Amino acid sequence: MELIVTVGERQERVRVERDGAGWTVRVGAAAYRVDQQALGPHHRSLLVAGEQHEVVVLPRGEGRYWVSSRRGGALVAVTDVLSHLAAVAAGGAARRSQRVTAYMPGRVVAVLAAEGEEVAAGQGIVVLEAMKMENEIRTEHAGVLRKIAVTEGQAVEGGDLLFELE
Amino acid sequence: MVERRSLHKVLVANRGEIAVRVLRALRDLGIRGAVVYSDADRRSLPVLLADEAYRIGPPPSRDSYLRGEAIVAVAREIGADAIHPGYGFLAENATFAAACRDAGIELIGPPVEAIAAMGSKIESRRLMRAAGVPVVPGGCDPLATIEAAQAAAAELGYPVMLKAAAGGGGKGMRLVATREELASAFRAARSEAAASFGDDAVYLETFLSRPRHVEIQVMGDRHGHLVSLGERECSLQRRHQKVVEEAPSPAVTPELRRRMGEAAVAAARAVGYYSAGTVEFLLAADGAFYFLEMNTRLQVEHPVTEMVTGLDLVRAQLLVAQGEPLPEAFTGAVPRGHAIEVRLYAEDPYRGFAPSPGRIELLRWPEGPGVRNDCGVYEGVEVPVDYDPLLGKLIVWGEDRGRALARLGRALEELRIEGIRTTAPLFQALLADADFRAGQLDIDMLDRKLAAGELALPAPPPGRDLPLVAAALAHFERCQRVAGAPGEGGGRRSRWSESGRQDALRGGVWS
Repeated sequence: MELIVTVGERQERVRVERDGAGWTVRVGAAAYRVDQQALGPHHRSLLVAGEQHEVVVLPRGEGRYWVSSRRGGALVAVTDVLSHLAAVAAGGAARRSQRVTAYMPGRVVAVLAAEGEEVAAGQGIVVLEAMKMENEIRTEHAGVLRKIAVTEGQAVEGGDLLFELE
Repeated sequence: MVERRSLHKVLVANRGEIAVRVLRALRDLGIRGAVVYSDADRRSLPVLLADEAYRIGPPPSRDSYLRGEAIVAVAREIGADAIHPGYGFLAENATFAAACRDAGIELIGPPVEAIAAMGSKIESRRLMRAAGVPVVPGGCDPLATIEAAQAAAAELGYPVMLKAAAGGGGKGMRLVATREELASAFRAARSEAAASFGDDAVYLETFLSRPRHVEIQVMGDRHGHLVSLGERECSLQRRHQKVVEEAPSPAVTPELRRRMGEAAVAAARAVGYYSAGTVEFLLAADGAFYFLEMNTRLQVEHPVTEMVTGLDLVRAQLLVAQGEPLPEAFTGAVPRGHAIEVRLYAEDPYRGFAPSPGRIELLRWPEGPGVRNDCGVYEGVEVPVDYDPLLGKLIVWGEDRGRALARLGRALEELRIEGIRTTAPLFQALLADADFRAGQLDIDMLDRKLAAGELALPAPPPGRDLPLVAAALAHFERCQRVAGAPGEGGGRRSRWSESGRQDALRGGVWS
């Protein structure tokens, strides 16, 4: 299976193949033979040429995974090649849009803008409170607020949509 | 004559790791342990470990763990002899202490009068001065006018610190370097104090440059015994919140320990203290120390004192509450070896320490020689959004500071907490910091280094393929599960794992 995998700025073609009881995973030009043991629903031990890596791979919505090893974590996006090509052809890259979700459970203390409003990059839109701390959730770029999905006083879960920007 | 009564059942009016700590001491003594819990904590570790558990209200603290009257009512109803308040919530609340006394329920801690006397900043300063305990030079009285402030500052000598009488947490505080700055700082501090505390009274103190926070653990009984158990170094703080504590302090000699211990005992004696308490001091670079405040309760960081003295402070609190004299081992305690505690908060150091509640997907605490965990959570539990984010404390002991640091490094390598972010990476960054390793600490150091970006949080090297490989495999499996394809089994493991070992011999695996 051929996949497009993105971590931060880096994007690679990754091929995953069965290899006996294990796997061969090719990342660009590099090839790894991997023995993978599932230790729990999201908990894996990967043996790669004798090096042991205990990783936790938590699904974070459609094709997105939080991969955490002993040296820290990274958000990784995975898509198959066909979907990736379709998205590029549809001009997904050209139209900049932002779907902002709550990265933690909490309460909405304030909504600072209205639907349809033109907002600047870095403008605070929603104030979330959790563990006695308030956090302003801001825009990544300028645009128009297409949707505000929460109201003041509402409780949200991690991953819930807060607002959409176009 | 002190009345002795044995405790049969104790209600723990707290949550999280400190509730667990108290339940353990109760079980050690064969006393039944009950807890109160909010709706957010029904599945929490203390509820699972307690003999009895009673719902006290909805998640917000003011509707649950701060409902003093309701908690006293539960204690009466279930026939508890005593309440242990832990720290925070109702632990230093003189009204609650009085309510317990009126209900005939022992509150495990000092007398009500001691809690009340140490509760006021200005009042406790006056008391300490009268008891001969050094306080930071400066006034005890509010300054009414700019002229009065100028006269007081001239007498102390610049730089000076303006402080709110009702203050705390750095609010209403102003550093004044010269006479010219005083007038505007005076106005600003007063209006900030009024806005924050509803009281615009300010007073002046000498400014101490980069002091350490060093505190003395005291323990007393109702028979007049009051002892010092040595110091804890707590200079590493983020926004006035302690994050690392150790004992002994790298800056304290046996002679200084003796003098600080005597001052702390004098402070405690001045308010008729018994049970466990902590006298906090600022220690200046020249070795002078000044009373800051007294915490009239068990402290979060009490385990480092336990690790270097071999004593059990919570057990001693319970014995004292039964009217027993302090065990002999508490007299003449000297620190043996070195202990360090790190506080694991559900905060994300990669996002400016934003709260990180959620489900703990994986939890593995370090074990082995010299390691202690005081933990309030377990794998699978949800960390609620409603409370202080302290998950637990990791405490290590070594024969000396160097070995304790090495053990801390080892323990942090073993620790795994997944699903939420914690402050563990901060401690790995500190272990790589030369000043921390050398024990060169002061109360502003952590904030200063964080602001300057001097502490490098561990991060996977960019370009490393491990996250890509792990995510691709997980995605592949998900797609297969969705498609309903049966997984391929089969045993050709030996062939490729052998060639894998050969790869390893050639050096690095990952590009």
